[in-house]
Amino acid sequence: MTAAAGTSRGRSPARTSKLVPLEEAAALVRPGALVAIGGLWFQNNPSALVRAVIRTGVRDLQVVAAPPSSYAVDLLIGAGVVSRVYAAHVSFDHLGLAPNHRRAAEAGEVDIVECDEATVLGGLMAAVEALPHHPVTSIAGTELTRTSSLAARTPVDGLGEVAAPPAMRPDLCLLHAQEADQYGNIRHFGTPFCDPLFAKTSGTVVVSVDRIVDNATVRAEPHRTVIPGYLVDAVVEAPYGAHPAASQGLYPHDEEHLNAYLSAGRTAEDWRARYLRPWVLDRPDSADYLAAVGGPDRLDRLDEVVA
Amino acid sequence: MSSAAVPETAGKSIVDGYSAQELMTVVMARELRSSDLAVTGASSLVPVAACLLAQQLHAPDLTLILPSGVVNPPPGRLYRSASDGRWVTGAEAVGTAYDLFEMSENGRLSVMFYGGVQLDRHGNVNLTATGLRPGEPPRFRGPGLANTSFAVVSGRIILFSAGHSRRTFVEKVDYVTAAGHLDGGTSRRDAGITTDGPVLCITPLVTFGFDDEKCMQVRSVHPGVDPADVVARTGFPLRTDHPWQLTDAPTETELHVLRTVVDRTGELRATT
Repeated sequence: MTAAAGTSRGRSPARTSKLVPLEEAAALVRPGALVAIGGLWFQNNPSALVRAVIRTGVRDLQVVAAPPSSYAVDLLIGAGVVSRVYAAHVSFDHLGLAPNHRRAAEAGEVDIVECDEATVLGGLMAAVEALPHHPVTSIAGTELTRTSSLAARTPVDGLGEVAAPPAMRPDLCLLHAQEADQYGNIRHFGTPFCDPLFAKTSGTVVVSVDRIVDNATVRAEPHRTVIPGYLVDAVVEAPYGAHPAASQGLYPHDEEHLNAYLSAGRTAEDWRARYLRPWVLDRPDSADYLAAVGGPDRLDRLDEVVA
Repeated sequence: MSSAAVPETAGKSIVDGYSAQELMTVVMARELRSSDLAVTGASSLVPVAACLLAQQLHAPDLTLILPSGVVNPPPGRLYRSASDGRWVTGAEAVGTAYDLFEMSENGRLSVMFYGGVQLDRHGNVNLTATGLRPGEPPRFRGPGLANTSFAVVSGRIILFSAGHSRRTFVEKVDYVTAAGHLDGGTSRRDAGITTDGPVLCITPLVTFGFDDEKCMQVRSVHPGVDPADVVARTGFPLRTDHPWQLTDAPTETELHVLRTVVDRTGELRATT
């Protein structure tokens, strides 16, 4: 029987699903990889993915994050799996400094590459444009032009020597959004921030979403697809997968949990004993994690308690 | 030093008191213009509230953009996290990092707000590190700054600080994360930066302006604040050869609009 005969009987070849289990997606992160972390501050952190990556035992990662980053980046640093960070700003916003980022920087354990939004975006723009670098004029006169390896200078017509961040091409990006179909059409309810740029510049694109929707749902409102499926390699269904960060439009950040993280983070030993072990290493099961943080009953009502 | 023959009377508050953050918000709002395109950063409850208040009072055309790219969030409830996803509800547009990049490269914004781990007398901002030694890690590492470039391209900069101490207000920052007036005088312009830079700095004690040499000086002292305390808690010399003006206390209208339209849940009055 020929293929033509097969289709004539109304049996089209099946489209390939990109749905993969959490642990399988995490295993895509290889030692030494440059990994982009999506979201910003407490929003849309790929938290469940990052915890799963830490559990794989992978080491020596380089991390690039949205210019303002938080939990996911600090967690990776604290777990000791990161050797270099390109993150302009890492903090817990109004809750305080990022304890592991701060500690690693002060101990000189991690190479913290000075950068800002313009230098990170410049590097991503260069990758989007398939160019070796992308000059940015806006950081002229700042200390970055003297201290950052991302600010090497290049002559530009009419402008003289201009800082030109080299192309930033992550091996893989980890993103979190609210919805996707099984073919990797990704829908953000709030700001996608750097996520589309990471998706366009990364070798492998992994996205966790709080819920999977039908392809028909995507097709009913195509303008709501923020990252189309052709850019995406793997989709992970991870309900509340951004927790303790927020999933924009679904649930806010969990301030009580983040404060507990910060409280444990005063010393490296405490943080490992009171956060890394109980919440990451010893809690591989997502349902177990979700139950331990109060389940949907609590997380769906965070809007009432988080100021 | 007691110096500065300042009116001792200080503040008669209008509506049984107001918090330091409410006062700072009102003072900042008065400095904003209807033509402004304002962008806020991290830990910026006061600047966000000030923009929303200014829109209600005298600057209806002001555009407020949050660091997450959210354009013109509605007034009503202040969220403490700069990027809180709930700001999206009722906003006019949701931008991305690329929109902020465009804004920095094209210098589209007219006012930017910065706080700092250190702020120096020339209005330079350090959010990166202190205790820097060549070839060694820093003694203290701060959060860093997402938008160094905004200090270069923004039409003007309004500085603010939740605290007022010699640890924050220093003679010279250990690291210039965001360029203020650099070494003072014309040094900002000499570095090729054409925008105004810091024009004032609002603290719980005073509003600082900048003198001809681009040094921070007290423009007005807030009601109820002892000038000697200001001098003692500032890590660089302040001119005290003439009396400091007194900051106008918030009016009844300003406080009323702030509390009933902008901050209905009283975040600016909360203690933490």
